[in-house]
Amino acid sequence: MEKPSTLFTGVFGAFAISCGAMVLIPYSQFGGLQPQYKWEEGQSQPTEVYPLDVSQEGKSVYQSNGCFYCHTQQIRDEQNGLDIERGWGPRRTIARDYLYEEVPLLGSTRMGPDFTNYGTKEWRNEPADDIKKPAKRDASWIYLHLYSPRTIVRDSKCPPYRFLFEKKKIDGAPSPLALPVPVEKGYQILPTREVEHLAQYLLNLDRTPAVDELKVEVKPEAKAEAKP
Amino acid sequence: MTATEEPQTISPESAEKRDLENAERSLIDASARGPVLTFFTTAIFWLLVSCVLGFIASLKLHSPESLTAFGFLSYGNIWPAYNTAMIYGWCSLAGMGVATWLIGRLTRVAIKAPRILQLGAWFWNAGVATAVVTIMVGYNSGLEYFEMHKAARACIFIGYLLIGIWGLILFRYRRQAAPYISVWYLVGAFFWFPWIFGTASLLTSMPQIGGVMKNVVNAWYQGGLFNIWFGCIGLASAYYFIPKVINRPIYSYNMATTGFWSWIFLSGLTGMTRLSGGPVPAYLVTISIAATILTIIPLCTVTTNFVRTMKGHTSKMIYSPTLRFTYVGTIAFSLAVGLAVISSLRSVDEVTHFTSWNYGQVHLMTLGFFSMVMFGAIYYITPRLVGCEWLSRTFIRLHFLGSAYGAATIIGLFLLSGLAMGQTLNDSTADQPSFYNVIQNGAAYHAVKTYIGYVIFGLAQFIFAVHFLFMRLRIGQPSGEPTLFVNPGEAH
Repeated sequence: MEKPSTLFTGVFGAFAISCGAMVLIPYSQFGGLQPQYKWEEGQSQPTEVYPLDVSQEGKSVYQSNGCFYCHTQQIRDEQNGLDIERGWGPRRTIARDYLYEEVPLLGSTRMGPDFTNYGTKEWRNEPADDIKKPAKRDASWIYLHLYSPRTIVRDSKCPPYRFLFEKKKIDGAPSPLALPVPVEKGYQILPTREVEHLAQYLLNLDRTPAVDELKVEVKPEAKAEAKP
Repeated sequence: MTATEEPQTISPESAEKRDLENAERSLIDASARGPVLTFFTTAIFWLLVSCVLGFIASLKLHSPESLTAFGFLSYGNIWPAYNTAMIYGWCSLAGMGVATWLIGRLTRVAIKAPRILQLGAWFWNAGVATAVVTIMVGYNSGLEYFEMHKAARACIFIGYLLIGIWGLILFRYRRQAAPYISVWYLVGAFFWFPWIFGTASLLTSMPQIGGVMKNVVNAWYQGGLFNIWFGCIGLASAYYFIPKVINRPIYSYNMATTGFWSWIFLSGLTGMTRLSGGPVPAYLVTISIAATILTIIPLCTVTTNFVRTMKGHTSKMIYSPTLRFTYVGTIAFSLAVGLAVISSLRSVDEVTHFTSWNYGQVHLMTLGFFSMVMFGAIYYITPRLVGCEWLSRTFIRLHFLGSAYGAATIIGLFLLSGLAMGQTLNDSTADQPSFYNVIQNGAAYHAVKTYIGYVIFGLAQFIFAVHFLFMRLRIGQPSGEPTLFVNPGEAH
């Protein structure tokens, strides 16, 4: 041990084991992961492809504003926490769900709700029969929430993102996109392109399609709640 | 020299030898002066920056309507900027400063061409500054604790190469045949860092590698960063200063060997507990859990070694600031590793995962352990470089109290709010609490953390910075007698 050569060899060995086991082996295993195709007999094209490689401009807004420090995008299975029971998704997430994401924003802390499946109709953040549940979480709901979170969710700790909106003079009739918030007379608050992309990104978040890795059926209750 | 180090009776030959050794030491210290002081000064600057950013970030967690006028003050920008300033600014720079000085002392080699190290330090600083500014204006790589822009990574990497390679060259010229335990740890840290930093930078910027592989690389990087880079530099410092100040050898050399090798091999495998329950192969997480549980071995050997070395000498903490800071830091290290073992268990992780518990763990490692050990080292090293002793024992005492209680408050409340959040998050009773209750449960803790934890910690660091500035301006006690909390004669 006293010899420096032993020291260097040992330290290098430790690094090699760590890098091999934690980086190289997993890479060889799912570095070449492919989307999942479903074929119907007689068809030349797959009828279903999951996930789809779609560009998501809003993701960069989500990323640069650091939304992922408070909002995770991963669901654990039933034996491991109550993510599914909370209504955040019907199944756990797997590597294939993030196949086309350059950097999946999994997040590590939940200061706010999980957004894995925010765009689905089933997504909820309160007990199923809670009166606080909004009828619809659409783009205008998201705009209002981002502009002034606590007017819409009283207990929220989400910071306001007013710098993503602009105050414009009303020219003729007010824009249909104008936010229903108090503002100087003759002016209106309008979402910027950035925040429009962000809302679009959130509303497209859907990692619910059944995958081969999880042969378990999607929970029937989750399906039943689909359309209230 | 601390008073406790002075031998009682000396023969003429040994006196001559000692004089020679002392002269050699001061030569080595003088050669390290420039780079080490640059490291310390810039590190303390980043420490102050991170105290301010940490206060704002913590404030946002309970009062989201405060300071909302500018986008760059938004939580999603302030929080990563805080972590970057703390980890790459304060912790890394202070660590490299202490490491430079230790390498000179332990290999008994004067630092040649110290300007190369200084240049490295400025490159590193430029990288950190770029990282903090770009993060605040909205650049984010999406990888936690590695958010910085490519340009910042390049700067930091060049800075590191200048520092690390130069350190390695000095190590080649060493005159101490058998490297001391601290040197092993330093070699471990300085070898490991460029590899994890380089590999992670490369892999995360390759377009061919997409999907969760990026998160896997990131989790592995975090494991190496906190356990090997900070863990090893901190332990190197503790293994040097504890025996040095109490003037007695480390309790067991064999235990130190076991502790070192088991820590190096095991802690590099623990990173994936961060992805527990996530969309990665289960075996990865299982390996990390097993490795984390096995870190009980280094935990026990390192802890026993420090405790046994200190046995009968704990009273010296009354006098010596270095010893008090360092020993408290090593206790925090043991707590951090112990906590990591407990929270890696799936049954515990189920509750604590996705809560601020993980921030508590990170802060225990960076504030509780690493920063405390670094403060101890800086109190020892600086007087030997500037030629005067610390001005005021009251300042040191206030700094210790503020750092210890401030850090404990911050860490404790991160952990407690994590537990409270986890409990509510996983409450499976019939009336499952709404998620809003989860957030409400955490908020009260964060308020105390902001106004008590960060304020006390920040004030203490301000005092420390002023004190350090005095030292740089050579305003202090005359050289010779160290500034102790209590002079030995006054204690009884």
